[in-house]
Amino acid sequence: MTDFEPRILGIACNWCTYTGADLAGTTRLKYPQNVRVVRVMCSSRINPSFIIRAFQLGADGVLVGGCHPGDCHYGTGNLYARRRLAATKKLLEFAGMEPERFRVEWISASEGKKFAEVVEEFTGQIKALGPQTKFRMERIKTAEAAAK
Amino acid sequence: MTDMKEIEKRLREEAKKLLESGRVSVVLAYGKGCDERHPMPFAAMKPEEADEIVFNEYCTPNLARYLTKYPAGTKMAVAVKGCDSRAVVVLLQEGKVNREDIVILGIPAAGMKEQKTGKDVDASLTCGLANPVLYDVLLGQEIKGAAAESPYGIISKLDAMSGDERWEFWKKELARCIRCYACRKACPMCYCDPCFIDQTKPQWGDKTPTFDGNLMYHLTRFYHLAGRCVDCGECTRACPVDIPLNLFHKYMARECEEMFGQKAGMDPSQKPAMVDFKVEDSDTWLE
Amino acid sequence: MKKFAIEYLSGVIASLQQKGKVFAPVKEKDGFYFREIADPGDATLDFYNTVMSPKHLFFPQTEDMIKYRINKEGADSAPVPINSGPQILFGVRPPDVRSFELMDLLFEEGGIIDPYWVDKRKNTIVIGYAFDSVDPLDFYNTFDIHAADPRGSDIFLVRKDRTVLARAFTGKGEALLDGLAGLENASAADEKAFEDAVKKGPGLKTRKLDLNGVAKKLEAIFDAPYWQKASMACLNCGVCTFVCPTCSCFDICDETLFRDGRRCRTWDSCMFTNFTLEASGHNPRTRAFQRFRQRINHKFSYYVSKFGVTSCVGCGRCSRYCPVNIDIFSVVEKAKEV
Repeated sequence: MTDFEPRILGIACNWCTYTGADLAGTTRLKYPQNVRVVRVMCSSRINPSFIIRAFQLGADGVLVGGCHPGDCHYGTGNLYARRRLAATKKLLEFAGMEPERFRVEWISASEGKKFAEVVEEFTGQIKALGPQTKFRMERIKTAEAAAK
Repeated sequence: MTDMKEIEKRLREEAKKLLESGRVSVVLAYGKGCDERHPMPFAAMKPEEADEIVFNEYCTPNLARYLTKYPAGTKMAVAVKGCDSRAVVVLLQEGKVNREDIVILGIPAAGMKEQKTGKDVDASLTCGLANPVLYDVLLGQEIKGAAAESPYGIISKLDAMSGDERWEFWKKELARCIRCYACRKACPMCYCDPCFIDQTKPQWGDKTPTFDGNLMYHLTRFYHLAGRCVDCGECTRACPVDIPLNLFHKYMARECEEMFGQKAGMDPSQKPAMVDFKVEDSDTWLE
Repeated sequence: MKKFAIEYLSGVIASLQQKGKVFAPVKEKDGFYFREIADPGDATLDFYNTVMSPKHLFFPQTEDMIKYRINKEGADSAPVPINSGPQILFGVRPPDVRSFELMDLLFEEGGIIDPYWVDKRKNTIVIGYAFDSVDPLDFYNTFDIHAADPRGSDIFLVRKDRTVLARAFTGKGEALLDGLAGLENASAADEKAFEDAVKKGPGLKTRKLDLNGVAKKLEAIFDAPYWQKASMACLNCGVCTFVCPTCSCFDICDETLFRDGRRCRTWDSCMFTNFTLEASGHNPRTRAFQRFRQRINHKFSYYVSKFGVTSCVGCGRCSRYCPVNIDIFSVVEKAKEV
């Protein structure tokens, strides 16, 4: 599995984590390129089906980033998100998915370093776990096999 | 324990009274089916129809399901057993029905039987609640004593499995789904129109009964019921191919109860857990 | 005529497997289903009837028609070849056998030929199996089908204690039965027992509905308030239509993932809100009772005016698996009195 480069979906809130990721970039911090970040306006905008769908479409891991509780740009968005994402984590776990493949981190706009560290650590974790095969759709598996 | 015949008699009396006085225009109860073992949900709309109401040990369907089928503001009475009343409470919490529009006829239920097999309802599969949590009239005597079994006892066998084993278990079960949607249609909490899976823009999952589409449909449905499921078991009863959906629902209910400290549908003054938060909610849930 | 001991069933299934794919009843959870047999030991004849009707062996719940790949100019597409190969359908109850003929009318003889259905139908040998008990929800006697009715089967099986008697009724049935290893030849007494069993079939009585004038009556009461009342309990789920041996509606959907996709047909149900929803947004049946009425009328009225027969075989599945116990027999019976 040494040549396994995981595909990780990052979902980051516009105000904190996405800005934090920008900061990591502008300060020229190095971190693995495995995370593809999608920006949402708030972590509470994340529909848990996004996460299930990402795993189905071939993500090996999903990283969600939001503002620290209490710091939400909209006041309380991430407090709702916390409950939703907690339930999502439990759901994935009971369905049999490795819970380590789904991670939620509160990363503020000034924590570019934390963003880089989290991505580094998470990528390492997913690399160790290997490719995510459980939720991956049959058609994705076929297409991937054909591409090889 | 009140005799079923006595409950039936009182149901008819109450229904007649409510319809005659004009307090309600619909009484949701059970009526005659093709035989005694197959009673059907029945809506009495005229006082003389009250005599068509029946109640016996096979009257298992959760009538709270029908409340959201009538236009908002319809004055309705509904006959509810333990978990059915919790479903009514969730509907009240979510603003789908107004308290002043409905009259809740509570039934302390014990000794219910499965229609398919004729056997007693398995206590480990129920919510463990014999008496309704909310009612205007109780048709019979309250059943005393605690439930024989914990509602969550049955999931311990799944808890004990490894992740891979659980995955194999659900994979096998969900692959058998034929997508008749009886689970969501029988569910008192599934009132969305359209359901996410019927949407085409975006299309969340395949319409065909392939495993991938089934997984998307069921996992999302389990999630949508998190903190709302009242554990009435209707989804499992309705399923023609015997998928134990309620095991997943029970698990989600247990986890939500542990994390958020409230059980679905117990108190109409509470907000449902998933549309609420506390500042001191724990970050350890996410670890 | 041939016979075999029930203990030898797996041997019979194994020799059938030499001739083609075998589909036989298999126990899964609390019910039985027609499944393609991999291990001959899985097949059973100790069942009343399957949960799902065997129609899915000719008309799968989902079937690919075209595969395509989207490119800059449009799409490359190729039809999926229709070639099912020989299959054997083992242990079908008489009403279900009859249902195939009703579906033939629609898929084969109604002017529009459905190649998918026709291909599988002509490649399939149907081995019928007599009932030896009656479920109170069945009403196949209504349609002139009896419990040991061999009509439509290529080979018909009758159970006599621990022995299964098998007689061929068509040329292809006979060829199969003769070439099958491991079966014993039936004695004259067995022949007699088989005939007696078939003769005794009508003695097992199910519910019976008088269909006289029903089709016209249903047309006449189209606008009656009866339908709201009759459909009150209906949840509008699709159980009845999916377990039904004669429900034939399907939807054609394109499933595209990135650039690759398939166009497939998949069962649809008149009970669903999306059923026949038009691209314009117009829905001809927006109300639950209209969809309920559609199902009853389609079977007991429209099919009669189109093909001269009722599209129901009285297998009782829709009543048995309805989550709220709506019984189609009672619905039609009461409609007559409206």
